Amino acid sequence: MKILIAEDDPISCRILMANLKKWGHEVVVTHNGKEAWQALHAQGAPSLAILDRVMPDVDGIEICRQLRREKSDTPVHVILLTSLNRREDLLEGLEAGADDYLTKPLDAHELRARLQSAARILELQENLRQRVRELEAAIAERKLAEEALRNLSLTDQLTGLYNYRGFLNLAEHHLKTSRRSQNPSLLIYADMDGLKEINDKLGHRVGSLAIGAVADILRRTFRDCDIVARLGGDEFAVLVPDIHKTETAKLIERLRRNLHNYDEEANHEFTLALSIGAVEIDHRHQVNIEDQMARADEVMYREKRKRKGRLEAL
Amino acid sequence: MSLTPTATNAVDLAMLASYEEAQIEGEPDFVVELIDLYLDEVPRIFASLQNAIENKDCATAKRTAHSLRGSSGNLGVQQIAALARELEHLENPCGTSARELLQHLESEFGLVREILTAERRRRSS
Repeated sequence: MKILIAEDDPISCRILMANLKKWGHEVVVTHNGKEAWQALHAQGAPSLAILDRVMPDVDGIEICRQLRREKSDTPVHVILLTSLNRREDLLEGLEAGADDYLTKPLDAHELRARLQSAARILELQENLRQRVRELEAAIAERKLAEEALRNLSLTDQLTGLYNYRGFLNLAEHHLKTSRRSQNPSLLIYADMDGLKEINDKLGHRVGSLAIGAVADILRRTFRDCDIVARLGGDEFAVLVPDIHKTETAKLIERLRRNLHNYDEEANHEFTLALSIGAVEIDHRHQVNIEDQMARADEVMYREKRKRKGRLEAL
Repeated sequence: MSLTPTATNAVDLAMLASYEEAQIEGEPDFVVELIDLYLDEVPRIFASLQNAIENKDCATAKRTAHSLRGSSGNLGVQQIAALARELEHLENPCGTSARELLQHLESEFGLVREILTAERRRRSS
């Protein structure tokens, strides 16, 4: 162990040093409080300090007090040297933050025993610090992993629907596997009307509830094999594979009805409205999903403008 | 040399000898080193005590007496340790009683020096 001695009396100091060296410790010797303070704040400072209670400049108790005030991550283990029969010094020392004490004249066997107990405590502290470091590293790693996973994720956290990435992957896959399918698929692009107003008036928490409500309605309206996604913000998309031409209008109608029913129910702080653009995808032609989404978006926007116009006319 | 009764308990030679345990092989005799340190240190302490008492610097007198007590106690120099302790705890550690105690200490040290010097010689031979 690296041990600091702060002792102004040359004989005590020499005896301490001789014993510590004999037991294989590395010893840093100082003769007053100021030197001790500096040595305890130098690079590679000792982890244990034996401080004399009485020193001409700054005494051991004061050093103790100042050390404890620092709240270091690697607190120095302090053993205070006091004269025999000075119980009040001893109590004052322990209150100042000394870990242990030794009385003078020094008993070498006692000193050795105290050092062993100090070494055990220091080792425990070091193990604890090591453990904390490991845990912190593990937490940081976990956070990175979670973020990576979120980036890789195919689902939207808020609604549990597919996210943009998930939708694109699945829709593309569907287009590839449906090349020879006779029936078309239906791509629906839906944009919430008035989410911004809900957020502004009722707060984002309610805005999130409104998004969740739209997600629920979409889930109820479509089948399990349909790809329902929240693309981000207030935009949703649904890909309904293999639909008969006559069913398209019915499906959109069902969605409208479910939205309407929701708005009719009492106790909602907001009403839901969607601008919807739906396009059929003919699998006999080579198509890619992005083009089809752009088409659906276009249709949806036309509708949104119409609805807005209608609302303004009202 | 014949030892007077005071002299026999002036220095606890067994305590002094206990420092042989801290002796590192191949290094100079540790007990001799301690004796030298002590014989060197005490006159300096006396001078500083003298000075403190003359200047009525009670705090320094008290602290210096404390040092003397510590050093002496460490080496088993019991009488000096006891006298130093008395001085340290005087109500007025720079007054007349202090002066008297210092004289007493100095004469006691004459004896201690003889004993320690003999001990030193014995160990060096």
